[in-house]
Amino acid sequence: MLNCKQASELASQAMDEKLPFRERMALKLHLLFCRSCANFTRQLAFLREASYRFRTHHDLHLSDEARQRIVNTLKDKQDCG
Amino acid sequence: MTVKNNGSHSLTWLEDHGDYLFRYALLKVKDTHLAEDMVQETLLAAIASWSSFTNQSSVRTWLTAILKYKLLDHYRRQGREVAISDLVDQDEDESLDNFFAASGRWIDRPDAFPSPESAFQRKEFWKVFEECLSRLKPRQAEVFLAKEVYGMSNEEICKDFALSPTNTWVLMHRARLSLCKCLKIHWPDLDGLIEETGTC
Repeated sequence: MLNCKQASELASQAMDEKLPFRERMALKLHLLFCRSCANFTRQLAFLREASYRFRTHHDLHLSDEARQRIVNTLKDKQDCG
Repeated sequence: MTVKNNGSHSLTWLEDHGDYLFRYALLKVKDTHLAEDMVQETLLAAIASWSSFTNQSSVRTWLTAILKYKLLDHYRRQGREVAISDLVDQDEDESLDNFFAASGRWIDRPDAFPSPESAFQRKEFWKVFEECLSRLKPRQAEVFLAKEVYGMSNEEICKDFALSPTNTWVLMHRARLSLCKCLKIHWPDLDGLIEETGTC
């Protein structure tokens, strides 16, 4: 039987790839009986959704102006070199 | 001639890693212009130290390491005391004692979070989320951001950060535990929105 620490590790791993059958079943069984770990797995899904929104709602790219400014500086450096 | 080559490398670096470095810097300094300057300074420093690059690490890891030192310089100029370990922490073998008792049981049992929609509509939530991201340990932050925010695949992460799959799982697990805990502590609205509590 898994303890909560082990279950939380598997729950996290399961977010990133398919677990082997044995681990998948062990986790499922643990989650049936453990509200805390079931909550944790929902928190993981929440984090994933929040991260996705964070990426799409925030402008996390260098602006064209900034990019051009940096290109110019790098080119200057290149010419001076 | 060497300098010229390095200069043209730097344009490729900007193309391939500019957005990554920008986001990394932005999370730390929380100022768009300053983050842009950090990217520029990083690339200039990279040109100067290209000869020190060894193929042992990926270009991204190498550039990120330079950026971290630029961030440290920035904090120091501001007179802020920042331990190098806050940015360049290689030792992340901390145990999970903050989260689990020796028996493997939760110390603070995870609660149910409110529905994502109700949280995401609140500006306050995003402030806390960003703050919690920036408080992650450096290595955990890099891997978590790469995976969840920038959408990189597991294979790309292992390659870019020179990590084994197991290391990646461990870092992701810790990052997720820390983020959940941080959100719970610093998000004042959370308690009012919780639907149920855990019993394990």
